[in-house]
Amino acid sequence: MDLRIALEIGALILIASMISREIGISIAIVEIVLGIIGGNFLKLETTAWITFLASFASIVLTFLAGVEVDPQVLRSKFKESLLIGGFSFLIPFIAAWAFAYWALGWETDAAKIAGVALSTTSLAVVYAVLVETGLTNTATGKIIMAATFVTDFGTAAALSILFITPTPWLIPFVAASIFLIVLMPRLQPWFFGRYGNRITEPEIKWVFAALFLLMFLGDKAQSHAVLPAFLLGLVMAESFLRHRTEQQRLRVVAFSLLTPFFFIKAGMNISLGAVGANVGLIAVLFAVKVGAKIMGVYPFAQRYLDRDAWYATLLMSTGLTFGTISATYGLSAGIITKDQFSVLLAVVILTAVVPTLIAQRFFEPALPAKEAGREAYRPEAVLQPGGGGEG
Amino acid sequence: MFKKILIGYDDSPGAKRALEVACEMAKALDAELWALAVLEHLPKYAASVGEIEEAQAQGQAYLRELLSGAQEYALGREVALQVDQVSGQPAQAIVKYADDQRFNLIVLGHSGHSGIWGTFLGTTADKTMRHARCSVMVVR
Repeated sequence: MDLRIALEIGALILIASMISREIGISIAIVEIVLGIIGGNFLKLETTAWITFLASFASIVLTFLAGVEVDPQVLRSKFKESLLIGGFSFLIPFIAAWAFAYWALGWETDAAKIAGVALSTTSLAVVYAVLVETGLTNTATGKIIMAATFVTDFGTAAALSILFITPTPWLIPFVAASIFLIVLMPRLQPWFFGRYGNRITEPEIKWVFAALFLLMFLGDKAQSHAVLPAFLLGLVMAESFLRHRTEQQRLRVVAFSLLTPFFFIKAGMNISLGAVGANVGLIAVLFAVKVGAKIMGVYPFAQRYLDRDAWYATLLMSTGLTFGTISATYGLSAGIITKDQFSVLLAVVILTAVVPTLIAQRFFEPALPAKEAGREAYRPEAVLQPGGGGEG
Repeated sequence: MFKKILIGYDDSPGAKRALEVACEMAKALDAELWALAVLEHLPKYAASVGEIEEAQAQGQAYLRELLSGAQEYALGREVALQVDQVSGQPAQAIVKYADDQRFNLIVLGHSGHSGIWGTFLGTTADKTMRHARCSVMVVR
């Protein structure tokens, strides 16, 4: 029975990769959509091993989100990013929480999950838009990226802290988190130097072992390993910047073997019936998130980014991975129902798409070409007639 | 007259024809000749930066290869071709680039890789002609 499920999910994963490549839409969105089809029409069932792979994938994704932080960008734009990113998390979190609690009558913890899931900003969506519009190396792009890191941190912190039920295991969980966050970046150069660059990939096992430890202790402490995993990624970011091959290998393992299970399982848990019955609610929650992002981000964006304030605000309204992680945690911990999960994930997917489209269509900053779109690649030499080249 | 010529290059048959004509013009007018390739189609709504970086790296490698081919071709015609690549929507990127770098002339093939979408949405050449501030030549 399990092997049949493995075959079916394996086929969906393969098909998702092909569709994503053909239509140019992110693999995550395609996997979620195929998961919806699998769960609603093919009646695919989840198993313990799928659940395990999916939950590990969510921690690996969080770790990778930390690794993707550019510490230099964060340091150089710290004040602006702290204000924009901090309020980009805080206002939507409070607004969505309050709306779910008072207007929708959700339980306190379910309302908190709504707040966390709708407070996020998608670094990947933001990054893609900045690359496409050539703004990654401009002041606007750097502030938006750094602010996104701060928002991600807020989301990770909220998910880990808000649902803690203190047990004695909390002490070893916190101690191990601090130990790993302090020690691993210091040991990394030695470890990579002595054991790295082998086909058996000790570097990846070293990271996975640390994440397994965090997951185990986080589970025992009735918390979530998202925050230490994100921070661990953050402190190891500089080291991975120097070891791009290892970062690439980690991504290959994550995106070929782990994250497909996470996104397909998320899709399988979406009830199309619940989405259909709650279209109005989905639209309202979408408006709550984007409205709150405007309230939280726009005043600071206007102060620091002037003409690009609306563009930045809309990009900060996007969400995908952390929103999906938050809603999935809520469902697997029994905090939210399947219907609530379906509504939240529908809103999360909408926020990945709609604000991006509006930002690119109506608010894209006009920049001269020497800033816009210029890639790192420069021709080494200009081929000259008669041979030779010049620098 | 035209002292700085820019070719929008995507290695399509139309772009190759544009390169051929632009090489002849550059030679005749003693003009500076550049080819610009535009990287588009990054994955929309990605879940990780890695997905974008990978697509970007693949796209850049592909563009490097086709621009290198264009340089080889120009070299065979005894023309020095300088090349560059940017990201974005092709027509918009070409117009911005030409404007900023003060090109006098943009040379484009009539049909690039726009294919069937071009029929409905307008080709890169159509859009570039509408928005460019310098002269635009479409090679048929």
